[in-house]
This record gives sequence, C-alpha cells and structure tokens, in this order.
Amino acid sequence: MKVALKVNGVQRHVDMAPLARLLDALRGPLGLTGTKEGCGEGECGSCAVFLDGVPVNACLVPIGQCDGCEVVTVEGLAAAGHLAPLQACMAEHGGAQCGICTPGMLIAAEALLRRNPDPTPVEVRTAIAGNLCRCTGYERIVQSVLHAAHELRSTEKGAAE
Amino acid sequence: MSLVDLPRYEFARPATLDETCAMLAEREAKREKTVLLAGGTDFMVQVSQGKLASDPLPLVVDIGRLDELRGVRLDGSRLRIGAAVTYLELQRDPIVREYAPLVAQMTHDIGGPTIQARGTLGGNLATASPAGDGIAAIAAYDPIIEVQSVRGRRRIPMAELQTGYKATTRAGDELIVAIELPLPAHGAAWCWRKVGTRLAQAISKVALGAVAEVSGGKVGRIGLAIASVGPTTSLLPRTRALVTATPLANLTAATVDAVVAEDVSPIDDVRSTREYRVHTAKAVVRGFLRELGAPV
Ligand SMILES: Cc1cc2nc3c(=O)[nH]c(=O)nc-3n(C[C@H](O)[C@H](O)[C@H](O)COP(=O)(O)OP(=O)(O)OC[C@H]3O[C@@H](n4cnc5c(N)ncnc54)[C@H](O)[C@@H]3O)c2cc1C
Ligand code: FES
Ligand code: FES
Repeated sequence: MKVALKVNGVQRHVDMAPLARLLDALRGPLGLTGTKEGCGEGECGSCAVFLDGVPVNACLVPIGQCDGCEVVTVEGLAAAGHLAPLQACMAEHGGAQCGICTPGMLIAAEALLRRNPDPTPVEVRTAIAGNLCRCTGYERIVQSVLHAAHELRSTEKGAAE
Repeated sequence: MSLVDLPRYEFARPATLDETCAMLAEREAKREKTVLLAGGTDFMVQVSQGKLASDPLPLVVDIGRLDELRGVRLDGSRLRIGAAVTYLELQRDPIVREYAPLVAQMTHDIGGPTIQARGTLGGNLATASPAGDGIAAIAAYDPIIEVQSVRGRRRIPMAELQTGYKATTRAGDELIVAIELPLPAHGAAWCWRKVGTRLAQAISKVALGAVAEVSGGKVGRIGLAIASVGPTTSLLPRTRALVTATPLANLTAATVDAVVAEDVSPIDDVRSTREYRVHTAKAVVRGFLRELGAPV
C-alpha cells in the first residue's frame, strides 16, 4: 500500500504492507531510528510519536491508517542542529541514562508543555504515566521537564518584553 | 499469528457506513473472516501476542474515520457518543464533561495518554472484556448500544448486551455505531473509582461507575456497574433494588455488603483474588452511598 504522510514537516511516501506498524515505517524506510521499540505492545511508551498532533504509540498504529497524516518524531523536536530546551534539560539534569525511554519521554513531555506551560510535578508524572523507564527512577525526568518548562516560560517572557 | 505476520493482512478502508455493512454482509455470506479496526489498541496487541486466529487470515476493515461513528451530540436528555470517538476526545469534549462527567473522568484511567489518544468505546464494547473500564462507566447510565448491519439498525439495551465472558448478543456482521446515554438529572451524583496495581497502564481489579438522583433522603434513579467482578460487567441489580427501596438513612453497611456479595461473582486470577475483589466491590459501593448520605 502506498502511503503519503508528512514526517517532521517533510512530505514522505512509503510503500508497505497496510498492517505494518508506523514504528517499522519510521525505523525502516523513513530512516528515523530515534523512535525506539521497547515492548511492542503499547505498555512502555518508548515508541511514542505525535500523530496529527497527539502522542500515540507507533507500535500500535498500522501504517495503513496513516495516509494523509502528520507525524512528528523525536528528531522533529530539535531545531536545525540544536537540541530543544526540553532535550537539553533532559541531558543536563540526568533525565536520560541509557536513553531507550528518552525519545518517548520527550514526546510525552512536549505534549504536556504544549497544553500546559506551567505544570505541577504531579501533572508531569501523569503526562509520562504511559512511559516506562528502567534507569532513572523517574525523579530526574520529572525535574528535567520542570526545568525545561521554567526555561521555556522565561524565554517567552523575555521575548514578550 | 504474530508480529511477523502483520504484513500479510489485507486491509480495506470503506468510505461510508453502508459500504462497510455491505462488505461485512458479503464476507459473512461467504464465511470469510473480517476484523474491524478502530484505534487498534486491542487489535494490534492481540496480533503481536499471537492471540488472533490466522487461518484463513481475516480482512482488516478500518472504521476509525467513518463519519457516522464520530462525534458527540446532546439530544434533550440523551447523549449520543459515536463508537469511534477516542477517549482523549471524550476527555476534552465540553458536553461530555458537563453532562456525563463520569465518562470524562473514566477516560483518565484508561492506560496512559497514548492509549487514550487512540482507544474507543466501540472497541472496548466489542472486545467485551469484563475488565473494560469504558463499559463499566457507560453502563452506570443504562445506555442503549446502537448497532448496524445490512438488515438495518438495532438498539440493544446494555443489560441485554453481554451474555458471558467476552460474549455478546451482537451479530458478527453488526457494527457498533453509537452509545446513547439517557442522562440523569443535571447535577446528579456520580462517581468513578478504579482500583488497580498502579494508577496508569493497569487493568482493573475492580472499577465502579455510579450515578444517582437523590431527593428528600431517597434515591430515585440509580445506576451501578462494576468491572472485573464476574464474567460480564456486573450491573448490580439487587443492590440497585435495595437502594431505591430504602431511605438512605435506613441503609446499613451489613445490608449493603450482603446484596453486593450476591451481585458479584469474581474469580481468582493473575491480577487479584476473589476475596479481595468482593471486599473491594463492597467498599467502593458503600463509599458512593456514603457520599449520598447513607450511614454505611
Ligand atoms: C497499554 C494498554 C493499556 C490499556 N488500558 C486499558 C484500561 O485501562 N482499561 C480498559 O478498559 N482497556 C484498556 N486497554 C484496552 C483497549 O485500549 C480498550 O479496550 C479500547 O477501548 C479498545 O478500543 P480500540 O478502538 O483501540 O479497539 P480496536 O483494537 O480497534 O478494536 C478492538 C476490537 O473491537 C472491534 N471493534 C472496534 N470498534 C468496533 C465497532 N465500532 N463495532 C464493532 N466492533 C468494533 C474490533 O474488530 C476488534 O475486535 C489497554 C490497552 C493497552 C494496549
Ligand atoms: S514499543 Fe510501543 S509502547 Fe512499547
Ligand atoms: S534512561 Fe534507560 S530506560 Fe529510561
């Protein structure tokens, strides 16, 4: 099946079996290996990407349902070779160790900050509730997201003044 | 059937509900297997866990975009929810939040945000797991499940839908189109209480959906439904009868516990024990009745 989709702002085409997973399309023909596969069953969130603006598990989405859709992966968060503040904070504040959960965590956190620029720690935990991490114990991830939120708010305030 | 077989499936995306029904009927007549696909959060997992019969391979029919299955509409005192509306859409819908707050609240307890973004009530009802949280929440409203086939549209009252473990009165070629909730009085009491191993990504050990209209110390209408305490969603008929027949002030913990115990029939399984589930079912029902003013 020929599927046309926009990936990180660029129009792309894949020709795959309709039930092949969006995850396989991304990591295979689309060459975007930032998105990870942990469980393949919707449990761990390491394959999270934005599909038409909402975070989904790419392991549970057949590519046949993606025709005409817009996908943003972890690669799409960074602007022109610079890490986005959220990514930089994750690295700086110990939110990433082995890195397997990190792309999914970043998508989940980005989804939160787009709707809620000033989240509480509990709101951060709720937003990443579908993402499992074997390394960090989560505390540092939550702190990283809160730091990023703070940084983004200050930049925005600076830009407004 | 497993992950490696995914690419072997054939796939169809009919444009309308009528076209979908015709396709289902035609395949049914030829005894060919068909699987519907909405959010895929049950289907894709079944495939990857090898739980789907694959000989012959079913045709997968995408119904997620069908207009007739989308959207939420308020018609007087009835709320109509399209079967393919996602949990996330329900969560954000101002009408659902205002008129069926129990449904909006339940959506937060389905898996995590990425599951809420894709999963649908139609899929939850079709999977018909006794652990289905969506079913328990809507069942508190005693809804009508609207199904359609080439033979026309049929309205199935919730109490007549489930017949046993994952078994329903819906025919193989009938699509779930919408769920119609007869709403209680605006501002009626409600509660959603899910008990699982953790807050997110956990299948319910017990989950209660409840609504009640109370006036003058008596309960007029009550809806109660509990997930994971029997082969089907438990609708607690004896408990409902006791509560509407007795002034709230006269209810006692002992009488409530006794009827709840009669209404549920849980089993021991990997997630919990029969004993814990009976105990918790009693506790969540009494918790709701306490909120209504009963000394239980
Ligand atoms: C990680 C994870 C966590 C989960 N957590 C929960 C939870 O907390 N609570 C819970 O209740 N469930 C949970 N689920 C299960 C699942 O998300 C829900 O049952 C969901 O409602 C299924 O909807 P769907 O649209 O994704 O179904 P799909 O997978 O698309 O379909 C499921 C089945 O229903 C059929 N179907 C779908 N729509 C219709 C229709 N309109 N008419 C007729 N048949 C139809 C399909 O043919 C298929 O057999 C979880 C799943 C995962 C992977
Ligand atoms: S790989 Fe998709 S959720 Fe784990
Ligand atoms: S950093 Fe290793 S799984 Fe999260």
